Amino acid sequence: MRVFLAIVVCKLLRFIGKLVGKGSSLPGQYALKICPDILSRVTLPPYIIAVTGSNGKTSTVEMIAAILRKSGKNVVYNAEGSNQIEGVATLILCSSSLGGKMRGDVLLLESDERYARLSFRWFHPTHFVITNLYRDQLTRNGHPEWVYDAIVPAIHPDTTLVLNADDPLVSCFARGHEKVKWFGLERCSVSTDRPRGAYDDGARCPVCCGKMAYTCRHYHHIGHYRCPVCGHERHTPDFAVTALDLDAGRLTIDGQTEIALAFRSIYNVYNILAAWSVCALAGAEPAVTASVINNYILKNGRMVRFTLGEHHGTLLTSKHENSVAYDTNLGYIRDAKQDCEVLIIVDAISRKYFTGETSWLWDIDFDLLDCPQVKRVLLCGKYVNDLALRFDYTGVPAEKVACFDTVPQAAEALKQDGGGPLYVVTCFSDRDKLLNLVQREQ
Amino acid sequence: MELNILHLYPDLMNLYGEYANLAVLRRHLGVMGVQTAVETAAPEDTPDFRTADMIYMGAGTERRQKAALTALTPYASEVKAAAERGAVLLFTGNAMALLGASVTDAAGKVWPGLGLAEYTTVETEKRVPVDVIAAPALWDAPAVGFMNKCSTTEGIISPLFNSLELGFGNEAEHGPEGYVSGNVFATHMTGPVLVKNPAFTDLVIRRLFALRGWDAPEALPVLPHEQEAYAVTLRELRTRVQ
Repeated sequence: MRVFLAIVVCKLLRFIGKLVGKGSSLPGQYALKICPDILSRVTLPPYIIAVTGSNGKTSTVEMIAAILRKSGKNVVYNAEGSNQIEGVATLILCSSSLGGKMRGDVLLLESDERYARLSFRWFHPTHFVITNLYRDQLTRNGHPEWVYDAIVPAIHPDTTLVLNADDPLVSCFARGHEKVKWFGLERCSVSTDRPRGAYDDGARCPVCCGKMAYTCRHYHHIGHYRCPVCGHERHTPDFAVTALDLDAGRLTIDGQTEIALAFRSIYNVYNILAAWSVCALAGAEPAVTASVINNYILKNGRMVRFTLGEHHGTLLTSKHENSVAYDTNLGYIRDAKQDCEVLIIVDAISRKYFTGETSWLWDIDFDLLDCPQVKRVLLCGKYVNDLALRFDYTGVPAEKVACFDTVPQAAEALKQDGGGPLYVVTCFSDRDKLLNLVQREQ
Repeated sequence: MELNILHLYPDLMNLYGEYANLAVLRRHLGVMGVQTAVETAAPEDTPDFRTADMIYMGAGTERRQKAALTALTPYASEVKAAAERGAVLLFTGNAMALLGASVTDAAGKVWPGLGLAEYTTVETEKRVPVDVIAAPALWDAPAVGFMNKCSTTEGIISPLFNSLELGFGNEAEHGPEGYVSGNVFATHMTGPVLVKNPAFTDLVIRRLFALRGWDAPEALPVLPHEQEAYAVTLRELRTRVQ
């Protein structure tokens, strides 16, 4: 009876919530109050796929949904990104019959890395994709090993882990777990012998703290590693990108399937590979998967094209407090090899909580902008002085750097200075401050 | 003029941006005509504690902190000797705990510390990542920063900060924070503590000059953007407190 009541209340609140434009976690919250173990009492679909990790969750989930739908499966997923237990409860119960049977062939969840254990206390995924663990929002997350420790209790012995073989910390999840599938990138054009960046989280083994040896790096601590002290090493992937040409926007999976990249970023490569891997495990045909992800343009588009005065601009959404996300976008600008100006905005560090923490600026490899084609770097926002101070410790010549207190001041200066390509690097918390001042292009 | 700086285990103890503490210090010293030689030590190395004018260790994860402690324990007497001859020691984040008598981890295991001080640290299951405004014991300007801790420390009678407007002290919220004794400075604030606090950088420079018997000018050099960045952070954090 409580199950029935919880589902009715959830559906009703969701219906009302949609009318008044409210979020999706409240209905689940009430349902969980009425019946705390409701999620263990509903009948779930045969495939339950969860995706977690520091970066790439939303994009990977979106591609998995597109592939499995094209494969003829009925997919239910939290496209709104409500990835804590209340949002998950809303999603499941609103997709269930009053008798407690969820519709669909696949339940697909983007899962918050710190709170996955709360959702998966009541049910567990058949497949759990873990993309990567980086320094990310340390003001909330503590540090990557803390996040790792928070995910461990969410892993059920019956779950098939789908792990990034190239991330030495993520691969620790396989220790003592039987059902594991690996995905990874073989040595390719982006691989280097030495790490690049302001810090190296691959220097030490996550198991024993021994000095790690790499045969190649793809970016940051992601690559082919082996600890000579304890033997912790990269596993041979079950699903691999065997060739990659980022300049040409092309990758090959398992030596057979060529995929064109709509967005030529190493991130996109891993997101595609993660989606490919779990969809293959869920029975998708390679040809169908390839047809969906070939030149796939993400709907959650983190890249926005716009016009500002005579400038053609590209906004590359990063995440503040996430130096790997910044580095990836700065690397994208550097690799574009086109004369340009770059605008960096740090105004509100988070849109969800307050912090004045700026240490993460020192983790970003701003030296990537120390190249001839970057003609000028404009810094702006409340934390412009912190940015300027950080740039004093890069190779970027001081005469190339200009500072502005506010976004409108920087935008006005850009309008006045002629044309040319412009890249903007900032976070969700700050990007609308610029987008409200420009003409967006389709 | 040249100073020797020993940076302990930077590839292990670098939660975020810790390297910048030495970068900013060296820049200031350079402007004053002081060259700096930095020895970076890995846990496998045998560091030279005898010639170090300054020894620095930043914050790490709880596991890496224990690895750093294990590596440093055989040299405890050399670290003590360096402190006794007046070398400047700066231990930030959970490196602070290593200077004390012991660290008890979340599983209850007691790790003996280096024993430079008598305080004891106990790790908890709860993590406190929080902004900080602190009242320094040794200089005027309020200190700003961030801490990312999951421990409490007891037994400190000479804190580096007398109280906190914002943040968790050694034992409690708003309580005294850090540790200071002579030229030994410890705080659980993480990351580029010296970058964020030019007044703390100045104090460290004065102590280094005194150690070498050099005369420091009355006014130390002010480098661009540092004071402005500090003022904005303090203003924003104060707004938050109110």
